Amino acid sequence: MGELAGALLSPLAQGFVLRALGAGIVLGSAGALLGVFIVQRGLGLLSDGLAHATFGGLALGLLLGAGVDRAAFVALPFTVAIALAIQYVRRRSGLGADVATGVFFAVSFAAGILFLGLRSARSAPVNVESLLFGSLLAVSPEALWLILGVALLVALVLIWIGPRLAYATFDPELATLSGVPVAALEYALLALTALVVVVGVKTVGVVLVSAFVVIPAATANLLGRSLAGIAALSVLVSAAGTAFGLFAAYHLNVATGATIILTLGAAFFLALVVRRR
Amino acid sequence: MTAGAGLALRAAGVGVELDGRRVLDDVSFEVGRGEFCCLCGPNGGGKTTLLKAALGLLPLAAGTIEVLGRTPAQARRQVGYLPQAKGFNPGFPARAVELILANRRGAWPLRITAAERERARLALARVGGERLLDAPLRALSGGEIQRVFLARALINEPALLLLDEPTAGVDARGRAEFLELLAGVAERDDVAAVLVTHNAAAARRLADRVVYLDGRVRAWGEAAEVLDRDWERGAFAGHDHAAPASLLCEDE
Repeated sequence: MGELAGALLSPLAQGFVLRALGAGIVLGSAGALLGVFIVQRGLGLLSDGLAHATFGGLALGLLLGAGVDRAAFVALPFTVAIALAIQYVRRRSGLGADVATGVFFAVSFAAGILFLGLRSARSAPVNVESLLFGSLLAVSPEALWLILGVALLVALVLIWIGPRLAYATFDPELATLSGVPVAALEYALLALTALVVVVGVKTVGVVLVSAFVVIPAATANLLGRSLAGIAALSVLVSAAGTAFGLFAAYHLNVATGATIILTLGAAFFLALVVRRR
Repeated sequence: MTAGAGLALRAAGVGVELDGRRVLDDVSFEVGRGEFCCLCGPNGGGKTTLLKAALGLLPLAAGTIEVLGRTPAQARRQVGYLPQAKGFNPGFPARAVELILANRRGAWPLRITAAERERARLALARVGGERLLDAPLRALSGGEIQRVFLARALINEPALLLLDEPTAGVDARGRAEFLELLAGVAERDDVAAVLVTHNAAAARRLADRVVYLDGRVRAWGEAAEVLDRDWERGAFAGHDHAAPASLLCEDE
């Protein structure tokens, strides 16, 4: 038994696996906490839209001459600006979140493709696949510090605004009457989500990062009976799913990000079955 | 000291526009402290709009509204509001005790102290809903939800209650019980109240004064004086507004 456990955990002896595990759990936990509010508000597609906006931001960074790692520093403000623009359009136009997200999603992604095309005429081609699918096992110490910083910021801001954001999520009108600055909190939620999505794109890629935000929270939402319970369960599902998926991918020699997301997906469907009973 | 300092609510020449359409025009009336006022009138007459303006949720195109001698935004904490349409997120894992305390804290309570819980219990006991304290909102009936929302409105010891058709969608018995409850709360606690209703019998039973609103104030005065005029019957949902004031028999 001890030998089996030792063999299963043996990847931890390697620094890059330890970094990947830390990055995945920390990033997943931040996404899972934000996801509680995102899912409750029916904004599940938002993180997907922001991930595609991140692609546009990364491409802009590359066009401006940054390397793949440094392009994230262009993608960060770019994606936050897109998130705030989505919220502004929602509030001003009365359009649904899915419509506003869909417009910015398509425009940002198209702009990204255009930026990469413009760049390729002058520079070496970029591996678009790495942008789309990420590489958790290739997380650098610098990227890990960025993830830790963003996760800490998310945790601190949520401790500060979480109870008021929860009230606004329950009923914006009643929250306004109780003195909650609903609009400002909604902008803050989207900006924080944009931050997590940008750093997430570098680890699990554009296509899969939204799963980090949506699936653990959706799973917890099926099982939890209080907001605090749902938040704790969401983080637990995310951390356990990330660790299990990472080790499974390592031992099976398959794609890490996809395995983590499939693990989280399995947890979601298991929760569906448990809830029906 | 403002002109309306001795009043619970004072509207003076109020105009409100929604999407470029004038919904309220030159609306003026007053509600004294401790007074029970019923706001009647046809659908689309601006009753809910007026309440939302009094809560500071809608901007005024003209005139002023004073609530307890202050602006609506300044007075919000002293106003208890019971909305008609419950716009809350039905998927949110809310319990009655949390909703009630959220109004007191101005934030959703993730942890509740024993003292807070007792306060919420007392608020629910005042409206006959003590057993609902830990109930999930999504499991409650329409009448039970109204009791929880009334307890929420009362938790801050308001000086003014704004009640927007609180018995809409509740069955006849529940409606009668709830209106009797409202009458008891207003009388016992000496709270001023503005009740939007199509129920003429309720207006006769509860109101010190009635405002008949149809975009403008068509009448404002003693309940009998206003209700016995020859208004359109549609304003009272097709029921005879001059019927005997038995709340148990009257339909909305």
